[in-house]
Amino acid sequence: MDVMSKNNSITVSAKKLTKIYDGTTVVDGISFDVKKGEVFGILGPNGAGKTTTLEMLEALRSIDTGSATINDIDVSDNPYKIRSIIGVQPQSPSFQDKTKLSELIELFAAAYGERVNVDEFLADVNLQDKKNSFVENLSGGQKQRFSIAAALVHNPTVFFLDEPTTGLDPQARRNLWELVREVQRRGVTVIITTHYMDEAEVLCDRVAIMDEGKIIALDTPKNLIKQLLKKGFKKDQTVEQANLEDVFIDLTGKELRT
Amino acid sequence: MKQKLFTVWVFTKISTKRFFRDKTAIFFTIAFPLIFLFVFGGIFGKDSDVSFNVALINNSKSSFSQQYVEQAKKDEVIKVSEEITTLDQAKERMNRGELDAAIVLPKTFGVIKDGQAFPSGEAKVLYSQNNQQAGQTLQSILQAQFQGMNKKLVDTKTPFSVSSEQTNDRGLSSFDYIFSGLLGFSIIGIGIFGPINVFPELKKQGILRRFHTTTLRVWQYFLSTMASQALIGLLAFAVQFAVALTLFDLQVVGNYFELTLFLILSTVTILGIGLALGGWAKNERQAAPLGNIIVFPMLFLSGTFFPRFLMPEWLQNISGFLPLTPIIDGIRLIATEGKHLTEIAPQIGLISAWLIIIYIIAFRFFRWE
Repeated sequence: MDVMSKNNSITVSAKKLTKIYDGTTVVDGISFDVKKGEVFGILGPNGAGKTTTLEMLEALRSIDTGSATINDIDVSDNPYKIRSIIGVQPQSPSFQDKTKLSELIELFAAAYGERVNVDEFLADVNLQDKKNSFVENLSGGQKQRFSIAAALVHNPTVFFLDEPTTGLDPQARRNLWELVREVQRRGVTVIITTHYMDEAEVLCDRVAIMDEGKIIALDTPKNLIKQLLKKGFKKDQTVEQANLEDVFIDLTGKELRT
Repeated sequence: MKQKLFTVWVFTKISTKRFFRDKTAIFFTIAFPLIFLFVFGGIFGKDSDVSFNVALINNSKSSFSQQYVEQAKKDEVIKVSEEITTLDQAKERMNRGELDAAIVLPKTFGVIKDGQAFPSGEAKVLYSQNNQQAGQTLQSILQAQFQGMNKKLVDTKTPFSVSSEQTNDRGLSSFDYIFSGLLGFSIIGIGIFGPINVFPELKKQGILRRFHTTTLRVWQYFLSTMASQALIGLLAFAVQFAVALTLFDLQVVGNYFELTLFLILSTVTILGIGLALGGWAKNERQAAPLGNIIVFPMLFLSGTFFPRFLMPEWLQNISGFLPLTPIIDGIRLIATEGKHLTEIAPQIGLISAWLIIIYIIAFRFFRWE
């Protein structure tokens, strides 16, 4: 294991992470490594411990037992150092109202103690003409783009998203997937939680499936499917060339709605 | 450190800008206290801050008594009700609390007695049991009035007299006194009512949570809130001073720079209570009741709307230790009595002690979500 953690290709490493709330073990000694540049999915039903796991890695919640490192920095010992190298997209991103985009960017950069060239930054995410708008006046897609950009204002190495598509319509979900891929192309490691399997399948390089605080499977989506088939699992063999979502997208278009 | 203060500066700048875009916030911090100012200024602002509603029942037919009644009707302190002419009517109104007292002029009032060159008589002041103070005050007012009349009528020498000299040509008016209380109320608004409304809302929207994921520290967030609220507060106070000075003849003899420093200290201290409550509460339902429990005793006991010297002594002793009390006292001492900061060390000391206690609590109980 020691050799593994010193390996450059491991960005996030969790060892026997445990969290106990009021006598209930919410996260039960889970271990996993996330490789540099991959999109790592944490799947599971509600209450499986996904969000708590994420929050421990983000240094937002104390780790009861076990340990975690990001870039070989211990999360418990250096919470502020950790926060300076991670970006976090909350479940339903919101910003304070009556604040211009340019000011919000300045604010988020300042929260990390950094100065930013606002014009350049907004041009990078194609929002330069919205510089003086308030967030509440952006379209849904612009808001998503802006929120992710704001979370990455300090060029973090790891980007966390907690159920980012819950409650979104199909267009907005697809838009967000595209944005996540863009982040990955920039070389940022992405850790995402979701309970949508289609999302995990298109987005994640590897997934960990959690249930009752434990990781019960960890592999690439393809391998997990293969393993299931090996066990003799059979689905009704109707090969469909399209599903209802394809119909929906075909009818309503990929264009994002507000 | 420079980098950390840069963060504070940006947060201060942007939240202050944001305040000026928020019409509701502007109304509650600047216009709302003005309403109180106008109400209390209307009550206490005029020179004759004391007046009595009385009935004047004249049973005499002498020309002197007629003259006296005419004169009394013009008086500003004694407001004579014109519709009451009989003693029974007056008694009924006094029982209902609509009248403070009745002045009765007997039949002989103002009649020139045989062998005398001038009119004489005795007026009677009637007051009910629960209006003793008004009755007695009225009696002494009439006594002073009659003494003046006596002097004019009978030009005898008065062998003994008391001369008085004003030591303080300013003299505090009731409004000067109440104004510091109104500023105290304004400080409560900015320091407590603001944060306990804003913070739970920011938590509900997940905005504070988002800041928590950054390297922003609680003290940086607090410091920027302190700076921007102090700035906004000073603006609100300046508006109130301007209105009070121009419309209600407020007399300020103190040093404005010292007053500003004192107001900043006061605002920051009271803001700590708001930060503690708003920072601790998960939602409005937690913040509002606790806020009321803390705010209302202070409003009533610290001399916001009525002066503390009206309270029983034991209550004065207790209320003297509330954080708002030295603030209101200090504002009055500087503004209307011209004291310097060095002379109000007890007040500043007490406020500073509260500042430390309050902020220890605020830091301890702050939650980002």
